[in-house]
Amino acid sequence: MNVGLPHFLTVGAILFALGLFAVMSRRNAIGILMGVELMLNASNINFVAFSRYVEHAVDGQIMAAFVIVLAAAEAAVALAIVLAMYRNFGTANADVVQSLKR
Amino acid sequence: MNDLAIPDFGREIAALLPFLIVAGGGLLVMVTDALVKTLRKDHLSYLVLLVLLSVIVVQTTSGTPEGPVLNGLLLLGNFSRFFTYLFVVIGVLTTIFATGIFDRDGNYRPEFYPLLLFAILGMMVLAAANDLLTVYLGLETMSLATYVLAGGVRGNAPSSEAGFKYLMLGGFSSAFFLMGVAFVYGACGGTGFDQIAAALHSGSAPMPFLTLGTGLMLVGFGFKVAMVPFHMWTPDVYDGAPAYVTGFMATAIKAAGFAILLRFVLLTEPMLAFAWYPVLTVLAVLTMSLGNIVALVQGNIKRMLAWSSIAHAGYLLLGIVAILAPALGGPEMMARAKGIVEEGGAALLFYLVGYALMNLAAFGIINVMGTEPGVDGDQISRYAGLSRRQPVAAATLAVAMLSLAGIPPMVGFMAKFYIFSVVVKAGLIPLAIIGVINSLISVYYYLRVIVVMYMHDTAEDSYQGTEWVSVAAAGLLAFLIIYLGVMPEAFHRGAEIVFRQISF
Repeated sequence: MNVGLPHFLTVGAILFALGLFAVMSRRNAIGILMGVELMLNASNINFVAFSRYVEHAVDGQIMAAFVIVLAAAEAAVALAIVLAMYRNFGTANADVVQSLKR
Repeated sequence: MNDLAIPDFGREIAALLPFLIVAGGGLLVMVTDALVKTLRKDHLSYLVLLVLLSVIVVQTTSGTPEGPVLNGLLLLGNFSRFFTYLFVVIGVLTTIFATGIFDRDGNYRPEFYPLLLFAILGMMVLAAANDLLTVYLGLETMSLATYVLAGGVRGNAPSSEAGFKYLMLGGFSSAFFLMGVAFVYGACGGTGFDQIAAALHSGSAPMPFLTLGTGLMLVGFGFKVAMVPFHMWTPDVYDGAPAYVTGFMATAIKAAGFAILLRFVLLTEPMLAFAWYPVLTVLAVLTMSLGNIVALVQGNIKRMLAWSSIAHAGYLLLGIVAILAPALGGPEMMARAKGIVEEGGAALLFYLVGYALMNLAAFGIINVMGTEPGVDGDQISRYAGLSRRQPVAAATLAVAMLSLAGIPPMVGFMAKFYIFSVVVKAGLIPLAIIGVINSLISVYYYLRVIVVMYMHDTAEDSYQGTEWVSVAAAGLLAFLIIYLGVMPEAFHRGAEIVFRQISF
């Protein structure tokens, strides 16, 4: 079988959908974060695939490297905020933390 | 980004000096706070003000080089300079408001200062971006800093909830945005705006990838500017964050979001105007109407201003719709097209400045009146009788509310007037009528605040504290609101010159 651009895009789309599903269905904050990370990595696959099959240059790979770094930074900030929330509410479940709805 | 040239380092560094000052200043403030133990905490704020003022000085005096820098990653010129001024001024006022509250309560948040500078850096990058890579970097730098600004009040449950919600939905939307970037890149074969423009003008970009990518990117933009249906986070985050951060988010982030949305819409217009036009028209109408209708029933002033900020995003979208209209009109429309596009752009920039002035004035007073985020300090009923206890604060808040409602002679009226007149000139009279009706609805909830302040008796539990520096700064903003409302011409013409530069 000849592996081409559509195959990579399909993997990317499946990964993105899985991430989306995780974000929608998880109650736990860490689970939601993992879903977001999956979605970011889905775009990374697309970037690298497009850079190989469409552009024949490295713009997409540079972009993917930046995304990896930013995803790490985002995870650090996110875990700190979830920790702060856990201290204040005693839970990391997103649906319990609803004190602002009045 | 493809043909790398050896850059002229002297020119590049001179051009990037404002960015370097903000980035270096942020690091300096952070290190100073950690290492210099003898420093009084409020001295950090002077350092921040020094950094921000030196950005203004450098930018005004040095005649920074124009054009693309860093191999086309950033595009410097009037447009990026205009937004740098706006962000720096918002930053100065936010620092003043925040420090006033820290002083009054004796409760310092030293991490606030470097994060504010980093958020401003991200916004400056965003307004100057000329490549999808820098758009994403700017967006994330801005967002990561603001998540912590909103959620970082220690031991305060509402603040951490606001930070959490902002972070989750922000990360979610930026994942959509990034997927969109990937598809636009795949369609155009490059991330640089020049490459995208070239691919779109030649019509070689495959349509499915392009529309899918742009649609996904719109989710990210829509989230940042609080556009319906991506607005769910706004009331909770504006309510839970401390008021000085809310003021910063409502003004600077919205301005940065619209700066990049405007550039991106103009960039993709050659092939996508037919898609942008109906989508943005529907979103503009929904955003205005929902924002104004829900704001009617809010009892909390921060939540009310959150819904009002959604409504204002709708008016701003109307401006973008007007800019797009000529591209789709008949031949007689094409003849007037250039005029409409330029006037529409100028109206948008004017609106962003006016909106920043009036919202900062309002949040400056709310900041002084509140005690702690999320505690019932922000109920409108607590403002009863404010005009007798604190006449200056009440007058300032009244001016801000009248301006938000769009009542002459405030700047809010002129801003709406420019937007609606461009919409009419573009031949979209029904849209202009919807906008005016919305504007009339909004008068009710803005005036309610004034009625409570001036006509109701002081309630038992009303808060007596104050903070004079913040009230004076907000009063100065109120003066500017009236000044720009009475004499908008010179500034409006300046905005037109600024906008002319980014037309592709």
